[in-house]
Amino acid sequence: MLALPATARTRPHYGGTLRVEIEGEPWQRPGGLARRMVLDGLAVMNADGTPRPALALDWKSENDNHRWQFRLRPGVHFHDGSPLTSPSVVASLNAVCGTNCPWTAIHAVGSSVVFTSDSPMPNLPELLAADKYLVALTVASDGTTPAGVVGTGPFQVTGFMNGVLTLTANDSSWQGRPFADAVEAHVHRSIRDQWLDLSVGRADLVEVPAEQLRQAQQQRLTIMTSAPVTLLALTVSDSGALGNPNLRAAIALAVDRSALYNVIFQKQGEVTASLLPAALTGYSFLFPTERDLNKAHELRGGLTPPPLTLAAEGGPAMQLAAQRIALNLREAGFNVQVVNGVAAQHADLALRQLPLESNQPQAALESMLRGAGLAAPVLEQTPAGLYRIERDFLESHTLIPLLDLPRAYAVGGRIRDLHLSPDGTPQLSAASLEDAP
Amino acid sequence: MKLIWLVAAVVTALIGMAASAAPAPSQWEQPAAALAEEIAGILGPGQARLTIRNLSTVSSDEIPAIRRLLEQELKARGVLTSGAESANAIRVTLSENMRERLWVAEVVEGNETRVTMVRVEPGTAPQSQPKSGLALRKQVVITTNEAVLAALETAGGLVTVQPEQIVIYGHAAEGWREQKRVGIGQKKLLPRDPRGIILPSANGSGFEASVVGMVCSGSYLPAQPAGDWTVRCRESDDPWTIVQPPVAQTGNATQGTATQGTATQMDVSVTPMKAFYNAARNYFTGVVTPSLSVDLPPFYSAAQIIRSASSAPLLIGSIDGKVQIVENGALKPVAGTRDWGSDFAALHSGCGAGMQIVVSGSGEAASDSLRAYELPAQEAVPASASLAMDGTVTALWTAPDGNSVFAAVRGAADQFEVDRVTALCN
Repeated sequence: MLALPATARTRPHYGGTLRVEIEGEPWQRPGGLARRMVLDGLAVMNADGTPRPALALDWKSENDNHRWQFRLRPGVHFHDGSPLTSPSVVASLNAVCGTNCPWTAIHAVGSSVVFTSDSPMPNLPELLAADKYLVALTVASDGTTPAGVVGTGPFQVTGFMNGVLTLTANDSSWQGRPFADAVEAHVHRSIRDQWLDLSVGRADLVEVPAEQLRQAQQQRLTIMTSAPVTLLALTVSDSGALGNPNLRAAIALAVDRSALYNVIFQKQGEVTASLLPAALTGYSFLFPTERDLNKAHELRGGLTPPPLTLAAEGGPAMQLAAQRIALNLREAGFNVQVVNGVAAQHADLALRQLPLESNQPQAALESMLRGAGLAAPVLEQTPAGLYRIERDFLESHTLIPLLDLPRAYAVGGRIRDLHLSPDGTPQLSAASLEDAP
Repeated sequence: MKLIWLVAAVVTALIGMAASAAPAPSQWEQPAAALAEEIAGILGPGQARLTIRNLSTVSSDEIPAIRRLLEQELKARGVLTSGAESANAIRVTLSENMRERLWVAEVVEGNETRVTMVRVEPGTAPQSQPKSGLALRKQVVITTNEAVLAALETAGGLVTVQPEQIVIYGHAAEGWREQKRVGIGQKKLLPRDPRGIILPSANGSGFEASVVGMVCSGSYLPAQPAGDWTVRCRESDDPWTIVQPPVAQTGNATQGTATQGTATQMDVSVTPMKAFYNAARNYFTGVVTPSLSVDLPPFYSAAQIIRSASSAPLLIGSIDGKVQIVENGALKPVAGTRDWGSDFAALHSGCGAGMQIVVSGSGEAASDSLRAYELPAQEAVPASASLAMDGTVTALWTAPDGNSVFAAVRGAADQFEVDRVTALCN
């Protein structure tokens, strides 16, 4: 939902500095604000869920999708001036994908990058459009190792000082120079400070967490909201006390999603029990979201499992949600203690925000399943086939979907032509400033 | 024998009348049949309760018809849906995702529920028509998934200018069919908001196109087999033609049927004019040829206003958002242009004052709109209602004959279309 001021359509102006503020890390993966400004992928997703060429000029599959060849766009250079070559792309992808990659092997062949796999890779272009596979220089032209921040994108890093990351327009961008001359990203700013800066004209774009969307609307901020791009889910260990599938099923039935939706997340996003959002598949209503405490008790069968630990990754809203879930589970006969988020790796239960890595259902599902440790590619291309894969996976109750959440930003009156990418990140390279000189 | 012929003729006529009176096949027939086939495959012949819920954008008015279709198709496959007491149930949900509609059936037999689903192509929403004085109407010339900067209809087909290619389409029964694609071969990087123009060649059968730093010329040999175009491109910093007199149109496969005035009805005096384009940005530098008596600021758009045979001032939309007119050796502001976007084009409609300026604007709507204005003096006066476009207007230019304007529109899903916009004189 885009709600920018009502003004006539004008061509974008060149010049000016965009001032953005964020609470987290600009290079956080996935979805860090600086990543898609500085780095490009081999492909990029259109709004309709189809991939289009980016650093790759084109691609073709062979051998029943077991081999893919991506031909690189000629004349593209990294920000340090070194040319984009197939070995540099291979090095970058190897650096980010050591294990559980969609491919078995990757090779530089002339000006192409060739992916091969023992299994078919029908969704490879869509998967390669994901944030994870953005290409960064691994060895700079002076032999040093850059920290994954030298790319080919429309902006280049020119400084980081006093919590301000400065990005400057890349005049040689293969996509064309961005309209703004620079972007100043103030990092680690609290949401409260961000909104204050926006209100006094010190910022052009600030974050709005899903749980504060209603508050932002009440404050009459101009808000841009993406489609659901994050799945709030509870991951459940399938070993130890929760090795019993009936106990995991009981946990799934005991969670009160509507309370999370209504109270914690202020009726933002969508209640869900499926991996992919309804907008992507149209079948998510087949997964029931209602709480059934009686059946949860029934499935527990009088067993009293040992105390369970529940960790939550993220800020205060996630901690509150974890507390609420612990309460739900206690009502179903489980003894649950909420622990520090750092302990999520070892906790019996973890509340996580899982990114939707693609707006193409097959690729999104494959990414989600790979994230859950399943390596099998999604070969099904029909909604019915995808539904069966989701259903079969979710029946194990090792991952319990709860809410689909959007990403949202509040914008100032100077910004024009700002759109959100399919992954919810703002496309600042295509935005311009109304008062640019 | 005559009687037999007469009877045959009457029977034929009756059959014809019956056929023409029959309702058109519903868009839901095919998916209803497909879903019924799936359900029958699961359930087999027998009885079942059928319930339908709608989670999609299908109008609730259409649900009874969909239900009837499903019942008919199920019955044809041996599944009767009248059994209220049946243990079997069919729960059909009309759903959709961002790309298509999805009809889902949950078939319940005892404790077991099986699911099947069929895809349904999305329907098209009806277009609203403006209802006021001079009315603008649009007609889609071509739809493509590649950005179009400019387009021209010629005797040899439709020529579209893309950022890096010239694409030529020939006439075909189903519309335009791609015939030829020629790379422009830019050596310089394209700006982020590239622009281009295309004009007919002097003989009307070819074209000359200018794209950032390049100029391409195309010639068509009608005696040759279809698709025999010759296109040549070269680097060029020459100025682009921004104003030229209307010329007779030689090829016009998609000419609108609206009641229009024509430019040839007017005693017009349009002075050809060219302007230098800033190849690193998205605007004209302000330097024009032949030079004017005033210095122009950098501008996005220009058009000549024909007021009389002796008065034809130049209108420019400068990059600071001001719309100004060059008249009597002075640059004067134009009032009433607050809602104007950067793009406008002259339309010699023959309606009202004879010519209007068609202007892009966005307002609060997600998509842009076009509106015609007249400029009797230094104030722009709306001459039509807004015409909603199906996306962002990325370019606007006057057709060679001046009787229509063309708009390049980028749709929501990165689909591009070229629309011809004409005026209806009411």
